[in-house]
Amino acid sequence: MKNFLHLHFIFIDYDLSMATNHRRNIALHCTNIVKIFNSGEAEVKALQGVNLDVYEGELLMLVGPSGCGKTTFVSVVTALLGFDSGTCITLDHNLATMSDEAKTAFRGKEIGFVFQAFNLIPALSAAENVALPLTIFGTNKTMAFSHSKEMLKAVGLEQKEHFLPGKLSGGQQQRVAIARALVHQPKLVICDEPTSSLDHKSGQVVMELLKKLTKEHAVTMIVVTHDSRVYQYADRIAEMEDGKIIRVGKTDEKIL
Amino acid sequence: MFEVAVKMLMHDRTKYLGLFTGIGFTAFLVTFAMAYFAGFMTRGFSLVSENPSATVWVMDPAVHSTEATINMSDASLGLVRSVKGVSYAVPLYLGDATARFPNGHFQSFQMIGVDDAILSGAPKTGNALSAALLHMPDSVIVDGGGSSGKLQTPIHTKDMWPYDGAHLGVPTRKLQYGDTLIINDKRVVVRGVSSTIPRFPPRPLMYTTQSNFKRLNPGENRYITFIMVKGGKNISASRLAQNITRQTGLKAITSDAFKKETVKWFLINSEDVGDMINMVILAMLVGFGVTGVMLYMFTYENLRQYAVLKAMGASKSQLVNMVFTQAFIGVIVGSGIGIGVCALLGESVASADFPFRMMWFAPVLGFLGVLIVSITAAVISVRPVLSMEPGIVFSQR
Repeated sequence: MKNFLHLHFIFIDYDLSMATNHRRNIALHCTNIVKIFNSGEAEVKALQGVNLDVYEGELLMLVGPSGCGKTTFVSVVTALLGFDSGTCITLDHNLATMSDEAKTAFRGKEIGFVFQAFNLIPALSAAENVALPLTIFGTNKTMAFSHSKEMLKAVGLEQKEHFLPGKLSGGQQQRVAIARALVHQPKLVICDEPTSSLDHKSGQVVMELLKKLTKEHAVTMIVVTHDSRVYQYADRIAEMEDGKIIRVGKTDEKIL
Repeated sequence: MFEVAVKMLMHDRTKYLGLFTGIGFTAFLVTFAMAYFAGFMTRGFSLVSENPSATVWVMDPAVHSTEATINMSDASLGLVRSVKGVSYAVPLYLGDATARFPNGHFQSFQMIGVDDAILSGAPKTGNALSAALLHMPDSVIVDGGGSSGKLQTPIHTKDMWPYDGAHLGVPTRKLQYGDTLIINDKRVVVRGVSSTIPRFPPRPLMYTTQSNFKRLNPGENRYITFIMVKGGKNISASRLAQNITRQTGLKAITSDAFKKETVKWFLINSEDVGDMINMVILAMLVGFGVTGVMLYMFTYENLRQYAVLKAMGASKSQLVNMVFTQAFIGVIVGSGIGIGVCALLGESVASADFPFRMMWFAPVLGFLGVLIVSITAAVISVRPVLSMEPGIVFSQR
């Protein structure tokens, strides 16, 4: 696996990576994050001191074998999951000191999610699903739907606004999910395996869309993926193994 | 978020129809059971209900219902009539009689003796002259009293008063004018068949005059079970009852109070009512269990969707409101269906002489029952919604 990854991007020194980006604003700053799951008497150290900075406006891919802690890490940095030690500052918010209510509000306002299983609400139409983050924050219905339609147009689904998720293809559902993740103009978007439920062509479409929208909306995006075919869309790639970031690198277009 | 909650509830037709049907069934069950119970209890005081002109009922101080009675002396009637404010007072005699039918079959009746002169307490039979026919010698009016198939007499003459023993199991018909029965070796003639308010417990009734009552039930020293009183214009029933009690030492209460006291007596003393209450409670528990489990399952199956909402910033109060909104809509729609069906079905049940009476408390209890159960189920099912880790949204399924 490690060799396979080497074929696709070259790694540069982690500290060097930080040094070369020192002039950019940091969207996510993690130092020595430790997360331990207790399952009965068994103790699983899912994160074993993760250090990572993610910069504003970049698309960072988080890669690594199954069980290496990628999902745990994005859960922690988005305040979906607590952590045991370390420092995590997401969009200038120190997660360790925030109450659950504050974390919920922060998540709703500042973060967008794109899930592997789409996680659209089956009872709501595409437009209603996209409007959901605004609805949660009590935005006026007319305004919420106006934004929702704009986003659906941006992802090329303006004709499908009344369709329920069950009537949409996998690729279309993921595009609706992307529109939902961006409709409330978050600063950080987390994409968990956004292409793994899709065929190659749909996966490419989704990644191109994510890349385009990242630039257009100036958001920071972390993409968790196993799909090496989409590494080309990353600004940087961070590789995890055994609960640690072992390398952070930039894609090498020549090798790709 | 209200709209989202409603859409989530109404999305899966199978689920929401199942939920509404479950809640509706419970509401129906509770309402129907309560209405049926109310019907039974109403029939418990039918004697009072069928004599609406009597505003005060006088009885022995130990009597608490129309069901268990002890008689008063004949002198009590004179005492009551002497109380100021009494417009009229008439006696009512109650007793049990076993009648032999022409084919040898026998049947127990509650015998009701009414005042000879004005026949107050005699039933209406649909024929204006029928009650007056009680003035004829040995006359009785019979009534099913909520029972069925117990007033049958043989069709053929050969089966009537046979010399070769009882002719049981022969073709029969309903008693009618002119049929004869034997009570205590004395002949009585049926002068009418009435259809008064059915009794609880159901039993055939036999109305006759007090003089015939005494002829058929000899050997008693005290015959008057109740004295039915109507007061003058210037005195209230309760005041008159107080005056009668104070002056005669007898128990006198208004008809409404007597109805309530009779219901209370049944609730405390009747084993049948105890069994009925147990059955009603059992039915309610089953219905409540079904409703609670269905609501819980509904929320539990949507747990992932709640996790998505939580991940996207939905607050705890928003999620709680959504769960309670769904439960409340389930209660409104389900109890509406259940109580509506109960009312419609009750109409046909009541018209078929079943003891169904939709009193105000039956639908209220039906609604409150499912509301309480649904709120409880919502409280239980909201716990996993609140305690779940929103991180489960990252899992594939």
